[in-house]
Amino acid sequence: MSDLYIPKLVRIEDVVEEAPDVKSFRLVFQDEELRDSFKFETGQFGLYSAFGYGESTFCIASSPTQKGFIQCTFRASGRVTNALSALSIGDTMGFRGPYGNSFPVEEWKGKNMVFIAGGIGLPPVRSVIRYALDRREDFGDITIVYGSKSVADLVYKNELAHWDERADINCIQTVDPGGETEDWKGKVGFVPTVLEEAAPSADNTIAIICGPPIMIKFCLSALDKLGFNDEQVYTTLENKMKCGVGKCGRCNVGDIYVCKEGPVYSAAEVKKMYDDF
Amino acid sequence: MILSKEKLGALVEQVKISGALFAAPAVDGGQVVMKSVNVADEISFDYVITANSAKEYLFPQTETIAVVEIEKNKVKLSAVEPDAPETVLFGVRPCDAAAFASLRSVFTWDFIDESYTKREDKSIVLSVACTKGDEGCFCTSVGLKPDTTDGSDLQLKETTDGGSFVVEALTDKGKEFVKKFSDVFDDGSADTKAIFTPDEIPGGVDIEKIKERLADPAHYADPVWPELARKCFGCGACTFSCPTCHCFDITDEGDVFSTERKKNWDACQIDNFTLHASGHNPRDTQTKRWRNRFMCKFHIYPKKFTTKGCVGCGRCVRVCPVRLDITEVMAEFSK
Ligand code: SF4
Ligand code: SF4
Ligand code: FES
Repeated sequence: MSDLYIPKLVRIEDVVEEAPDVKSFRLVFQDEELRDSFKFETGQFGLYSAFGYGESTFCIASSPTQKGFIQCTFRASGRVTNALSALSIGDTMGFRGPYGNSFPVEEWKGKNMVFIAGGIGLPPVRSVIRYALDRREDFGDITIVYGSKSVADLVYKNELAHWDERADINCIQTVDPGGETEDWKGKVGFVPTVLEEAAPSADNTIAIICGPPIMIKFCLSALDKLGFNDEQVYTTLENKMKCGVGKCGRCNVGDIYVCKEGPVYSAAEVKKMYDDF
Repeated sequence: MILSKEKLGALVEQVKISGALFAAPAVDGGQVVMKSVNVADEISFDYVITANSAKEYLFPQTETIAVVEIEKNKVKLSAVEPDAPETVLFGVRPCDAAAFASLRSVFTWDFIDESYTKREDKSIVLSVACTKGDEGCFCTSVGLKPDTTDGSDLQLKETTDGGSFVVEALTDKGKEFVKKFSDVFDDGSADTKAIFTPDEIPGGVDIEKIKERLADPAHYADPVWPELARKCFGCGACTFSCPTCHCFDITDEGDVFSTERKKNWDACQIDNFTLHASGHNPRDTQTKRWRNRFMCKFHIYPKKFTTKGCVGCGRCVRVCPVRLDITEVMAEFSK
């Protein structure tokens, strides 16, 4: 196809201010046919266009079980994301994708799930959380450990409140020491510590981690202590991407093209990679 | 089959009349470069290798892939078809011709980049085997030869008297070309000049050994890397001049009312190439960037794309302002 790098037009149907500089967009394809035919899997990503500025890469934060739209969540931190952030409901932007591999959710039927995220690392994990909640009977215990720098920095506050209320989810929220407010009811402490305290059982469990590299590192050793092996732990890698389809040559970690073979990897796979992080 | 230099004029003329582009080595700004020529007189035969490779004819430095017009929140997005004129690439050195297979392998694994394949389909490669070289050339060290036919549709070898070329048609495309322009090609054969042989790389090179060493992620920690890459200051000249380098950027050039989306050459040697929006940069030192270039040439290309990442053209050695010589690194990793 000669439209390999050509985005599809999408309309912004809803904007949520998640946290300072962090927004979520609900996007609907302009092309009605595409609205129905568009398919993706949890963990896949897309390239989002702010015309006149360029493209930026982030995961699809909604779940394939949610039809008719896709959602993305991003932090305004560069030229393109700042331009995207300036758009409002009704505006048109571009999307191309879905690209990359996905979380093997089908293989996880019958398993307990532990979701661990820090800050803006929640959106990719949230796609799987939504998936698991929409197919609740397919999964065992669900534990969510989510933390951010401060209460204001937590994303998906409405959803967090909802997860909190549900009896069939163990949702633990935490903020870094000093990030709490007076009426904060969650924990105060770093994600790896809180995870270790929560001590989810490793038995028949899959853990998904996403967040800053340092958090991932300490969570991996916490999970190790809890008896998780590297095949039970998954993460999604982030790298600078321009093409998304294995051509532009910048997303590689050693000989692995994250856009094509990733972004989802087990901890076992990550540990075998070249030190290109 | 013979193509006499006297008849080159007729060939250029007929090719131009057919509407095709004729690119050949020609003097420009004091050096011999691959450029579009209108008459055979412009063609230079006095060159080791053109300063630029023929790559830009199939993978241009810059190309517009879409045009976006925005008016009162109405977005009109039009994809731009790649302009892929019929192109005759004459006088391409065999190493550069061989590099097309490498580019193709990247642009067609899984997803097909038609900007590349369409241009490749419309091009015909007439390589000229090397009768001379310079200290930068090292094709034989990467398993090629100065008269390798990989990637060539026709290969030309200069006759001993220097007045003609002996022509070998290697592909169907090449045979059709000869048929189409049959009056410029004569039957017959002649003795050809001796083919040049590049010097061995000092210390010797063992490509299999290099691959083996690079296949082990532990080499990233090898203290030899900062030493080898110390001189490099990240100008990117090596990557931009390389016939197999394929990296590019996708950017918007324009404003919020009207913009062109472009695909522009980019280079892994540039410091912000892998810079994340968060400020984190996985390849934050020149050592890491240089190591990546070497990995790409001698591990990623052969492993992932099963083609050559380096064809030994020597351009990166010639253009490097600090003379960082890839062959020295090859020798080091052959140990
Ligand atoms: S790496 Fe250097 S010698 Fe090898 S093909 Fe590229 S420019 Fe030529
Ligand atoms: S040409 Fe030389 S200095 Fe410039 S990026 Fe390449 S190796 Fe470094
Ligand atoms: S994003 Fe271009 S190669 Fe992976």
